[in-house]
Amino acid sequence: MAPEGQQREGRGYLRRTHGPMGIAAGPPEAPPPLPLAAQGITVEIGGAQILGGADLELKEGELVAVVGPNGAGKSTLVRAVSGLQKTSGGSISWWGKELGSLRGRDLARLRAFVPQRMPVPAGVTVREAVTIGRSSHLRPLGRMTGSDREAVGAAIARAGVERFGERALTTLSGGELQRVQIAIGLAQETPVLIADEPTSQLDLGATVGVAGLLRSLVGDGLTVLLVVHDLALALAVADTVVVVSGGRTVAAGPPAEVLTPERLAEVWGADARLSEDGGRTGLHVAWVPEAAMGTGASS
Amino acid sequence: MARRSLVFAALLVALALATVASLALGAVRIPASEVIDILLGKGGGGPNQQIVESLRLPRTVEALVIGAALGIAGAILQGALANPLASPDVIGVTGGAGFGAILIIILFPGSIALLPIGALFFGLLAATLVFAFAWSGRNRGSAGKVILAGIAMLSLFTAGTTGLLAAYPERAPSAIFFIAGGLTSSGWEEMETIWPYFAVGFVFAAVLIRPLDRLALGDDVAASLGSRPQLIRLGAGVAAALLAAASAAIAGLLGFLGLVVPHVVRMAGGSSSNTFVVPASALGGAALLAAGDTLARTLRAPIEMPVGPFMVVLGVPLFLWLLRKAV
Repeated sequence: MAPEGQQREGRGYLRRTHGPMGIAAGPPEAPPPLPLAAQGITVEIGGAQILGGADLELKEGELVAVVGPNGAGKSTLVRAVSGLQKTSGGSISWWGKELGSLRGRDLARLRAFVPQRMPVPAGVTVREAVTIGRSSHLRPLGRMTGSDREAVGAAIARAGVERFGERALTTLSGGELQRVQIAIGLAQETPVLIADEPTSQLDLGATVGVAGLLRSLVGDGLTVLLVVHDLALALAVADTVVVVSGGRTVAAGPPAEVLTPERLAEVWGADARLSEDGGRTGLHVAWVPEAAMGTGASS
Repeated sequence: MARRSLVFAALLVALALATVASLALGAVRIPASEVIDILLGKGGGGPNQQIVESLRLPRTVEALVIGAALGIAGAILQGALANPLASPDVIGVTGGAGFGAILIIILFPGSIALLPIGALFFGLLAATLVFAFAWSGRNRGSAGKVILAGIAMLSLFTAGTTGLLAAYPERAPSAIFFIAGGLTSSGWEEMETIWPYFAVGFVFAAVLIRPLDRLALGDDVAASLGSRPQLIRLGAGVAAALLAAASAAIAGLLGFLGLVVPHVVRMAGGSSSNTFVVPASALGGAALLAAGDTLARTLRAPIEMPVGPFMVVLGVPLFLWLLRKAV
């Protein structure tokens, strides 16, 4: 168990999120249980094996980006550890507790899952949607308390959606909607926030905004797990990168060490390298193989 | 928010007016003030009190309960299946209940008291079959699967009903009233048998309102919040099946009400939040059925028109007008 002193000073809505559910501390010398430890996850969907022994770990207060080619099983892995996808093998534990032993209500206090794109019901405002995100804290027929309303307000402010808080979801742009989805996750007041490709459908400006928001949540003391398509973005925001390929975890570690040109060639089959220059990151790709250069229509 | 409060206020006024009218109007007109006195237990014990208490009150209560039940059934099904076409029809209840009732009317005309039980049993049986098929195999419990299984079951039971009517044409006339849908002034007897199904359905629906709001943001958000999307859909199906089958047992086939009322409420309130739509549909359904039943039995008195077709005739123009104004 992390000593209280290690807890970073966060915003109001982040307090009392650590050490959820009063999980008892082990003997003093025992290492604290990780927020998330998943080993050898296998998933089959409709007879096809999607994951064949993938691993994933989260340490407190870090941002982990899961990267990999299309169809590698990135989203499936993240959904599996979140309890949204049935697994056929492996072990998943949240703060040392088996995922299978956690009730939905309890799991909802540990992690929030932000889908890639949620359906947008007509006539529902941003504030109402974020309020729904708070419902995991309420009893089945219980009412919102003052502290619930405060949490909703704090989530709206933190995600930067106050400006359009009273607008209908149907009127928002892609970037605005993604921020609202993050606000819904924040209203859950969980120590871990998980987002599946939060920027894959956004333009450059909106991507920068959402990436900055997610990174700043780590500064608040949250642990963040993302599925990311854009490797330059992963290099910029992640503390740890997990590379998934063919349904298995093939590498994990600091992005600069893991995303080497050799690995990009091996996993993505591309001649590419990443660069970093004063916080700006870039992906340099040999888009056209040299053999194909100069061979025009004449060949 | 203000718009929704306004809709609620309008619905409450409509409900109160429809209730009083339903009790006051009929072969004998009783002044509204006397009706209210009788309801408050200050009636003089005259014949009017007798008429209100033993003839009209049971019928009015049936109209209110069934109207609310069908409104709620439609609202939670449309929410759970995220489909605007959802209504008690699409989970097979209406088809099953129709078959059950016609079976009793045609094959056991001597045991007509069994009609509500037959309708209830086959209504719930049809819904059970729909859920059993929709929850088996791949992609279990998906909205598309529920709707397709429901429409298949509706066709099957409707074919059974039509087959029975064709085989015994001489007994068909007595079945018409049930198929058209309508209330009768037969006292409390039916309600006494059927009320537990309504009660369970209403409680279930109330508990489901918040989970349905989660589901409106998608299965993933619902799961993130600790709900099981398939379970919410199943619960909504069970609640709607109980409410719709119990309604059909007493008042025949009034499925149109369950389809239309939630849409009207959504369009009027400008919101699809279930916290608003479910209770507002209950009020709207109750007011509409009480008003419709009053009109159907007074406009051409002493001839009673069946309230089902009557409401459809009144409701469709209103519905289409609102639909035109909606996006």
